[in-house]
Amino acid sequence: MLSALLQIFSSLKLTVILLSASMVLIFFGTIDQVEYGIWHTQKLYFESFVVAWQYPAVWPAGEQLTWLRIPMFGGYTIGALMLINLTVAYSRRFSLKAAKLGLYAIHLGLMLLIVSELLTDLLAVESQMTVPEGGRANYSQTIRANELVLIDRSDNEFDRVHTIPAQDLKPGRTLDVPDTTLHARVLHFYPNAQLVQAQGSRNPANRGVAAKMGVTAIPQAPDYSEKAINTATAYIEILEGDTSLGVWLLSNVLDDRFPAQTVQADQGEYEIALRFQRYYHPFEIELLDFAHDKYPGTEIPFNFSSKIITHHPDPAKKQQALIYMNHPLRYEGLTFYQASFSPDETATVLQVVRNPGWLLPYFSVLLMGLGMTYQFGLHFSKYLKKRKTA
Amino acid sequence: MKKIIYSLAALLVLLVLGRYLRPAAQDSGYDLAGFAELPVQVGGRIKPLDSVARNTLLVLAARQKVETLDGQTLSPIEWFLDLTMRPERADTHPVFKIEFPDDLGLEGLAQPGKRHYSFNDLRPHFETINQQFREIDPEPKKRDAYQRQIAELNNGLSLYHRVMHSLHPIGDPQRLDQLADEYRSYLSLLQPAMAELRKQQAGEEYNAELVKNFLGYGEDYLRLSQTAHLRVIPPPAPVDPMDDWLNLGDELLNVIQTGQLSPYAMSYASLTMAYRAGDAQTFNKTLTQVKERVAADFPDDIGRVHFERLFNGYKPFAIAIELYILVFLFVCISWLRWPQALGNAAFWTLCLAFALHTFGLAARMYIQDRPPVTNLYSSAVFVGWGAVLLGAFLERFNRNGVGAAMAALVGFATLIIAHHLAMTGDTLEMMRAVLDSNFWLATHVVVITLGYSAMFFAGALAIAFTFLGILRRGFDKSAARSLAGMVYGITCFAALFSLVGTILGGIWADQSWGRFWGWDPKENGALMIVIMCAITLHARWGGLVRERGIMALAILGNIVTAWSWFGTNLLGVGLHSYGFTDSGFLWMCAFALSQLLCIALALLPLRFWRSQFALSKS
Repeated sequence: MLSALLQIFSSLKLTVILLSASMVLIFFGTIDQVEYGIWHTQKLYFESFVVAWQYPAVWPAGEQLTWLRIPMFGGYTIGALMLINLTVAYSRRFSLKAAKLGLYAIHLGLMLLIVSELLTDLLAVESQMTVPEGGRANYSQTIRANELVLIDRSDNEFDRVHTIPAQDLKPGRTLDVPDTTLHARVLHFYPNAQLVQAQGSRNPANRGVAAKMGVTAIPQAPDYSEKAINTATAYIEILEGDTSLGVWLLSNVLDDRFPAQTVQADQGEYEIALRFQRYYHPFEIELLDFAHDKYPGTEIPFNFSSKIITHHPDPAKKQQALIYMNHPLRYEGLTFYQASFSPDETATVLQVVRNPGWLLPYFSVLLMGLGMTYQFGLHFSKYLKKRKTA
Repeated sequence: MKKIIYSLAALLVLLVLGRYLRPAAQDSGYDLAGFAELPVQVGGRIKPLDSVARNTLLVLAARQKVETLDGQTLSPIEWFLDLTMRPERADTHPVFKIEFPDDLGLEGLAQPGKRHYSFNDLRPHFETINQQFREIDPEPKKRDAYQRQIAELNNGLSLYHRVMHSLHPIGDPQRLDQLADEYRSYLSLLQPAMAELRKQQAGEEYNAELVKNFLGYGEDYLRLSQTAHLRVIPPPAPVDPMDDWLNLGDELLNVIQTGQLSPYAMSYASLTMAYRAGDAQTFNKTLTQVKERVAADFPDDIGRVHFERLFNGYKPFAIAIELYILVFLFVCISWLRWPQALGNAAFWTLCLAFALHTFGLAARMYIQDRPPVTNLYSSAVFVGWGAVLLGAFLERFNRNGVGAAMAALVGFATLIIAHHLAMTGDTLEMMRAVLDSNFWLATHVVVITLGYSAMFFAGALAIAFTFLGILRRGFDKSAARSLAGMVYGITCFAALFSLVGTILGGIWADQSWGRFWGWDPKENGALMIVIMCAITLHARWGGLVRERGIMALAILGNIVTAWSWFGTNLLGVGLHSYGFTDSGFLWMCAFALSQLLCIALALLPLRFWRSQFALSKS
């Protein structure tokens, strides 16, 4: 029984089946990007165990065929099975032969690549930092995630930010606001919504902008396209012990442009907001100059660059750098890339990536490249020798 | 017999070469070549007027010549001279290609069998065309055939207008007869008019007539500066290639500040007047002065511009296309008769075509100062080049014609694709910032494109295997084994190049935006090729498939490669746009279907196969 199982798991037939399955997965995971955008498709297809492709309604005869679904294994399943296939096959058949060294290197590299892709899924954090020319920033944010924050600004030196990630905001739940005696009860949470002014209609909120201006939220379907920003919105009740302090309408569109909403608690005053998730860094980045050059007489850009200086509590880590296309800055475990700029070209937008496993693909790639060159080189020289003798 | 075959083959090759290399038909007396060499800055780079003329004509007429109403054939630069200097004549040349004129609903326009229309033909319909254009889908990828035609026509008319007014102000043609005098009068008005304007501002009495004349010029030139398409006026020497050149309107307005008109503007005016007067002598004399000035102002760059003009005239890819057809014919006939002589002729013709193909590629690299692949057009040229290189190698070792025939097939097909991709205009366009890296263009892009070459070549050999196996009795076991070995070897090669290329792409992505892998359509396409190779190789090693199975997989590789190369470009423009209406989509489907058919043939039961290879198996 076990040996039969081992037989299956070490077979080349399984390899070919898994490769074919991955090809099908990638194909559908590519065309579905038209429907769901890259980011969401990646979650659906490549960072999942199973997925079903659905016949798009906009295709020919879409209305009759939308029932058509093709179920398939997701990236995690195929990746795991490939790892098992490789491990079992090599542990059963391994023998140290010069003729096979290249194959070992290729497949070891492949295993490393699968593992590194998994690590990236799990550990990598991407966010964006906007810095105005002459200004500084000490945080980056991501438009893909939101957070509920209560900010205590009573200290002159610094603010205390109490944070609850938006994925914890499930309707009906009551959550402790960290390091305070307050609790937050979630009445409603909408991943995407439209805010409208509707005086007189029933409004769950009784404090802040909603109460003052009669603003209410209408839930919307989330938009997954590449550049779309979803208006995450929530009705949150804040409790101190058992006493309700009120219900606020919070939304990531109600940002710095609007007056802050505040909570009056016994302990003091807090600003309350639902905003894009922020990552604070123990240093500041100052933008000295942003440049955007185009080819003469065209709108085709040939260069974007940000000249920056880092301000770190440790003076030895102060550093000046020019970040431009294909030339990122690696600093304090983070990597800064030139990503975008404000429409008036006075502020730069840097992509900030923390990926502890970023070096792994390089090792894997080195192994695979060397392995392939070795193996095919060996084949080719054999072929040439055969030709000579023939 | 051999000698006769060789001479016949050589004669055919010479016929092809002769058609392209014969000198221009008639000598008009004007130094057209000299005019065609004049530099202009457009699309961010400096190129000869010849390229502008050709690319504009390609966009408008989808060809590089004009047939006038009186039956003359004009070269692109002759047409450009008419357009910019004798607009009243240019307006009668049929240069607007309209594929389906009946569908436009423009009353009285369509004439049976006529696909090229002149500006004058279209003149009564401007209002309607513009109206229709405003009503169509603003997203180009979502337009249907009718809407695309309207958009092309509308954009074509605007391009025509803008290129026409690159060398002279907007107004009636008679104005061009005194163009140099107009500029001189404008210049002489400049000082007095400024003085009068200062008086006006100070509230003093001033010469209203003079001011009005001057402002009239100013208004005209402002309009010109917004219209003129070409930047023909270089900044004063020494000139940096990244400096902004000015269009004629900007230069004329600039005079108000500098007080001096660029000699280039004056020369173009004199050229215009001489051309209109039919005075070839003055035209050529003025042109000589301009050329000397250009040579003095651009000692380092002008060589490249001149070379581009020459290169435009050589058309190496067009010759190569015809030679590839010859190679294919030679091989096909060689399988029936005179295998050795025709086989040799095919091989040497292939080498000649490859040399031309290589020359074209190298010339583009020199002009652009870039690695060979910079856009879809050049990738098509390069895919063909790589496949022909592989094929020539195979043919060199196994003189059986298969390598040569399939090399010719892929070379021909890819150059035809390139030819159609060139219809959008300049194929030597500048690179966007993220792509502006000669290192990555030279490594990742070149390696991955060579991977495409190998995939297509392996697929073509597999198709050859299928057809030979089914049709040719003489295709025996050893021939089959040798061909299958080639397909296997080239698939290994494709696997190596696709994998290394994909990996290099990952490293580039990691360097540019911190993501080794982002699952975007192009990356996924590349990965699918790698996986396709892996499937073929593992299936062979595992004994899951025999010769014919490998052939079927190699042909499937053609579809996967075409998808990666072109299919992914159809996607990805916004949400819910699958590019169904794109003509590329139809071609993609047709290609996939043809390949599926070949796969079906490869898997046809052996009793339908006529070859000895099949007999030995069954």
